[in-house]
Amino acid sequence: MHKIKKMRLHKIGLTALVLAFALAACDKKLDLNPAQSVSEELALSTDANVKSVLLGAYDALAKDGLWGGNALRDAELLAADGELRWVGTYTGPREVYNKAMIASNGEAEDRWTDAYDAINRVNNVLSALETVVAEDRAQVEGEARFIRAATYFELVRFYALPYEATGNNSQLGVPLVLRPTRGIDASSQVTRNTVKEVYTQIVDDLTGAKGLLPAENGVLAGQYVATALLARVYLQMGRYEDARSNADAVINSGLYALVGQYADEWNNDDNTSEDIYAVQISSQDFGEATLPVFYSIPEFGGRDGDIEIEQKHLDLYEPGDARLAFFYEGAGAVRSGKWRNQYRNQPIIRLAEMYLIRAEANLRLGAAVGAAPVDDYNIIHTRAGLAAVATVTLEELLLERRRELAQEGHRIHDVKRLQESVDGLAYNDPKLVFPIPAREIGANPNLQQNPGY
Amino acid sequence: MFIMKRFLLILCVACGTFSGLWAQRSISGVVTDAATGEPLAGATVAVKGADTGAVTAADGSFTLPVAGDDAQVKISYTGYVVQSILVGAQTRLDVAMEPGSLIDEVVVVGYGKQIRSTLTGNIAKVSGEQLHAMPVVALEQALQGQAAGVYIETANGKVGAASRVRVRGVGSINAGTEPLYVIDGIPIAKEKENTAGGPLNPLADLNFNDIASIEVLKDASAKAIYGSRGSNGVIIITTKTGQAGQSRIELDLQAGTSTPTGRREFLNAGEFVDLFTEAANNSDDIEGMAYDDPNSWTDFVMRRFTRYSGRNDSWKERVDRTDWQEEALRQGSVGNSTLAFTGGTDKMRYYASGNYGFTKGILVSNDLEKYGGRLNLDFNATSRLKIGVNFGLSRTLTTQVSDDNAFSTPMQLVAMAPITPTRDENGQLYDRPVTTYYNGLIDVEEASRRVFSTRTLTNAFGEYRFNPALVLRVEGGANLLNVRDNAFYGRRTDAGNASNGAAFAASSNTTAFNTNAVLSWNQEYGNHDLGIDLGTEFFSSDNVYSYVFGEGFPVDDLKTLSSAANITDAAGTTTEYRFLSYFGRARYNFARRYLFNASARVDGSSRFGADNRYAFFPAASAGWVLSEEEFLKDNRALSFLKLRASWGQSGNADIGNFPALGLFGAGNYNANSTLQPSQIANPALTWEKSTETDFGLDFGLLKNRISGEIDYYVKNTTDLLLQVPVPATSGFTTQFQNVGELENRGWEFTLNSNNLVGRFSWSTSLNLAINHNEVLSLANGQTLIDDSGSRYANVVKVGAPVGEFYGAEYAGVDPANGDALWYINNAEINANLKATTNDYNQAAFVELGSPLPTFIGGISNTLSYAGVTLDIRFQGQQGNKIHNGAGGFMSCNACWFDNQTRDQLDRWQKPGDQTRVPEARLGYSNGDQSRSSRYITDGSYLRLKNVTLAYDVPTRWLHGGGFKTLRLYATGTNLLTFTKYQGWDPEVTTDFLASNTVYGVDFYSAPQPRTIVGGIRFGF
Repeated sequence: MHKIKKMRLHKIGLTALVLAFALAACDKKLDLNPAQSVSEELALSTDANVKSVLLGAYDALAKDGLWGGNALRDAELLAADGELRWVGTYTGPREVYNKAMIASNGEAEDRWTDAYDAINRVNNVLSALETVVAEDRAQVEGEARFIRAATYFELVRFYALPYEATGNNSQLGVPLVLRPTRGIDASSQVTRNTVKEVYTQIVDDLTGAKGLLPAENGVLAGQYVATALLARVYLQMGRYEDARSNADAVINSGLYALVGQYADEWNNDDNTSEDIYAVQISSQDFGEATLPVFYSIPEFGGRDGDIEIEQKHLDLYEPGDARLAFFYEGAGAVRSGKWRNQYRNQPIIRLAEMYLIRAEANLRLGAAVGAAPVDDYNIIHTRAGLAAVATVTLEELLLERRRELAQEGHRIHDVKRLQESVDGLAYNDPKLVFPIPAREIGANPNLQQNPGY
Repeated sequence: MFIMKRFLLILCVACGTFSGLWAQRSISGVVTDAATGEPLAGATVAVKGADTGAVTAADGSFTLPVAGDDAQVKISYTGYVVQSILVGAQTRLDVAMEPGSLIDEVVVVGYGKQIRSTLTGNIAKVSGEQLHAMPVVALEQALQGQAAGVYIETANGKVGAASRVRVRGVGSINAGTEPLYVIDGIPIAKEKENTAGGPLNPLADLNFNDIASIEVLKDASAKAIYGSRGSNGVIIITTKTGQAGQSRIELDLQAGTSTPTGRREFLNAGEFVDLFTEAANNSDDIEGMAYDDPNSWTDFVMRRFTRYSGRNDSWKERVDRTDWQEEALRQGSVGNSTLAFTGGTDKMRYYASGNYGFTKGILVSNDLEKYGGRLNLDFNATSRLKIGVNFGLSRTLTTQVSDDNAFSTPMQLVAMAPITPTRDENGQLYDRPVTTYYNGLIDVEEASRRVFSTRTLTNAFGEYRFNPALVLRVEGGANLLNVRDNAFYGRRTDAGNASNGAAFAASSNTTAFNTNAVLSWNQEYGNHDLGIDLGTEFFSSDNVYSYVFGEGFPVDDLKTLSSAANITDAAGTTTEYRFLSYFGRARYNFARRYLFNASARVDGSSRFGADNRYAFFPAASAGWVLSEEEFLKDNRALSFLKLRASWGQSGNADIGNFPALGLFGAGNYNANSTLQPSQIANPALTWEKSTETDFGLDFGLLKNRISGEIDYYVKNTTDLLLQVPVPATSGFTTQFQNVGELENRGWEFTLNSNNLVGRFSWSTSLNLAINHNEVLSLANGQTLIDDSGSRYANVVKVGAPVGEFYGAEYAGVDPANGDALWYINNAEINANLKATTNDYNQAAFVELGSPLPTFIGGISNTLSYAGVTLDIRFQGQQGNKIHNGAGGFMSCNACWFDNQTRDQLDRWQKPGDQTRVPEARLGYSNGDQSRSSRYITDGSYLRLKNVTLAYDVPTRWLHGGGFKTLRLYATGTNLLTFTKYQGWDPEVTTDFLASNTVYGVDFYSAPQPRTIVGGIRFGF
């Protein structure tokens, strides 16, 4: 009996030992790692990885809420004014078009979310500059800051009352977030900076980027891409000398040239000589470029032809204008030729805009730096197949700008800059400002909602 | 695991020292029905404490070896009271069995079985017979309304559509809410595996004629043995096994037709033209525009009419060209067949079956075909060792339609104008711009969406009996699921239009393995009945997914990706997760009077960070059988009375893999790869826990002719795995955190009654459940999760049930001007909350009702006389609301060109009109804002879920026919629906939105099918 007991104890001991091994072996089986993702540390640990994250920031800028298309679309829908009509079923754009947005508007949420995603990606890159090889460090920083500036420029123009050239711009802008997010805590509950502070940051980033970037950088941001965007920012701020000098620098860089025919600028697989910055789209980017989705028709990969061009807009053009001829009829309405084909690059900043900025600034300043306003005007006007003119007024120049840059996402920002009105609303009407997304106010009570929402 | 198996082997050897020798002799006898005297074939006669047993033959006879005079024999037969008889010296044993009540039934519990009367937890059982021959595709549909507190909803009437099952309410917000399914010991994930379209039900491949029983473990005591995976309840599915005795062959054939349960009424051509003309006139009036102005809305609407008529004036004839709803719907059909062989000897038992079935859906181009086989075998390899294997193979082919949100889905055809013909003069289907939207009928002709699903479900077990008390059972199982999703969109279709055709091929392969070992010790010492189970389990699942999308096909006849000019999208992913668990359970009862049960489980999961990987889930329960006490023992009316109480904790880890890590994912820009932040870290992340308390009362009256259960439970889910919205300014929108608390509490009632017994018998079975679901807290400072956007209204709000509708409260129409009005409901704007506004943005969002029912139930009555059986079952729910998410399109007083529901004819037309439908204004928002109580209505319903009329042809007429039994039957499902809901069907949640927190949203969702079949069942 005693012996049996002893044997049993022995067996229990052995069993315990085996059990301990088994536990250890099985516990290791719970150590699994994802196959489609890597850790934060690894993602920012090498030169190549940081550059991949930078490219990820370009991709964020190309998301549909931003330059992927909807930022350009909504700038036109807000300023429709009978020149175009939204007939699509999507509620979000329809509310934008009707200037009847509600705080939970999906477009307002997407743009905000996409923008701060892009900003966080940039901030991750900027936090890991030391990892980048020394010779590329300046360029990586410059590209990152260009993307951040471009994103903040979209944000502040959509979510805040307009920048007033003569005001102190203490109206609420958007929160400035300049560090990467590593966790969620009280510091994540940011508040809105003023419009002035946001513009200061944009100008600072672009000025910095200009100094850091090489002259050329393929389809990504080079020195003159930052310069061109800075010209656009200064124009929005009414700082005409600065706008002009930056536009002039781009024109004189010799890197860009207008394409011969207006129509050749659009629906291309590769950047044209006129493109300063274009979002790169290929057939791999299904659903990411949204301008053709809404402007085009099913036969070219669009939805149902959600945006129709109205006669009021066509009336802006003179007969014989190549830009007028570029519109086409499809699915029962007139369509913009610019965003006709899916999977094509989307020009965002092109040389023609620089001529128009330089001409407008010179005209307002009574100057002719780089070229006389009428000469710049004629460059654009004659390219459209029209006869050169001898003189040009500011009004004519602004009309040319509308025709040249139509449906490219400039209109509402020009309305606000020029203090015009659309659809019976004054340029600074709160209805022309997007709501801070309802979900964002819910997640962060420190954010103050815009008036009217 | 190898080492673990070695350990178990050692354990086997270590314990295998017990044995005994008894003298062997045999007894024989006949088992009969005490009421009728008819012999009972297939009754089990087993020697207690030994693994010897026999099954009665067709004449009720058996022969059984027994050892010693003190051997006890247990005789059991489904539906009869189990008898235990001391053999003594006798060699002949004739047994008359009393028809039993459910109190005596054997119930499958986790890793074991128990008799209901000794249970201390709450387990609902549905027998295979209750599911048999139901002409529905999926098991859940057959189960609906049959178990108290088990809410089942099939998203819509698409064939093979996903079903949602909620046991005792919605138990989580972001982690899973579906119970754990365990089929023959193998945990089965019920996740969407198809790539496009609405989610399909992966369990649709199960042939439920193969099911012996389904047990739903509801309270903590019952489910805690499943630990981290039990918090939403456990559904244990046991397939049939063979019975020793004479072999039987059964062939079941059925066929029938189905039609939609409901239709909506839409405007006819004349009404359409009138209403939209009126709407355009009204918009012109607002703008001061002359109706004949070329820029007027009226001119615009006339041009649209012409366009919609096929570019002619035929709309002026006001004749219906197409009833688009009828283009979407059709008469469906159903056919099912099962051939099963069952039988065995005392050494070996088998169940083998094959099945084939098809369902032609009530939606155009929506079909399902399935076939499968099953082989369940078990052997007594030695007198101590029993081994067995359950093997199931099934294959399902679903011809899908797009999800409810796609223009191409059939039900969206209803948006088209009745003045539009389907085809042009050449017979070609019209598309935009003649049709208002993409004509989904083009998809019917020129697109295909085929999902092939193949599943192998194998479970092998060995059961070694060291001695009468100690048994070791080792199980190993594999669930291999391959889902291939192939779609082709021809060049005229919406998806293939711009690219000369498009196609994708996707493949999802899930491989899950499960092993467990349970050592059970059960012993009775006089009045003391003790049981202990110790076990361990390891589960591993991986998924490999690949996807290729291509465009540009030379002709529509070449549909595979090799013919694509351009591969435009591809994906390939792998992911896996694992669980490692140890569990134990102790059971004690004294004289079947005082019952105690305790269990504990430790679970580790790969889904959580290394520091929070393991968790402990305890449970305890007790029962007191008052009817065994002296003071009740002789009570004639009250034959059984038991009080139960249980408490326990279970967990939920049903979230995606790797939620705790800070991650960067890959992407691409300009054909170069990119990296970007994809998930923010939360190293503290761990299980969601639910703590549940249950009080129950089981009773039996009049010799248990009436029996029932009453339960009250409170289930608190804490440390919710919540996808907490974080400020998007962080670059992220959500983070998984363990915060918040959710409560489900309620009552369950089950009543079974044999109202009449004898030649004419009538029995009633009733189940009712009341559940109160409430979100108690969310993240710190958070009171609302609102991800619904402007069209849908489900939210998670503190103080309200999960999925509460939240939006503006509609106040009807201003009789003076026809404006839609809402209650402001905001004291900051107006102290009078019921003051109204015509500005939707002024109206504060308020709670508008819950999509979850407070009350669910089912009642079935079975009547039989002379071989004719009539079974009538109702199922219903009450207290839930339905939001018509498409109301802003189809019922918006002609705000845009979608054909309108006929109730819109009630629109306001002149000052003084009292109506709920605002003035029609084309192109204007006048009450069409979707997130409004205007589109939220009562969704309660009572449904005649199933009626079966069967006739068992008397055996004496069958002589010479070559078969022993013959049953003829007719059965119908969803025969009648009583509801106030004006839509297609009140059982609805649109498939593209359905989630843990979204219920009760209708968005062009197909009605459920009403199916009637006739069948015949032969027994050979």
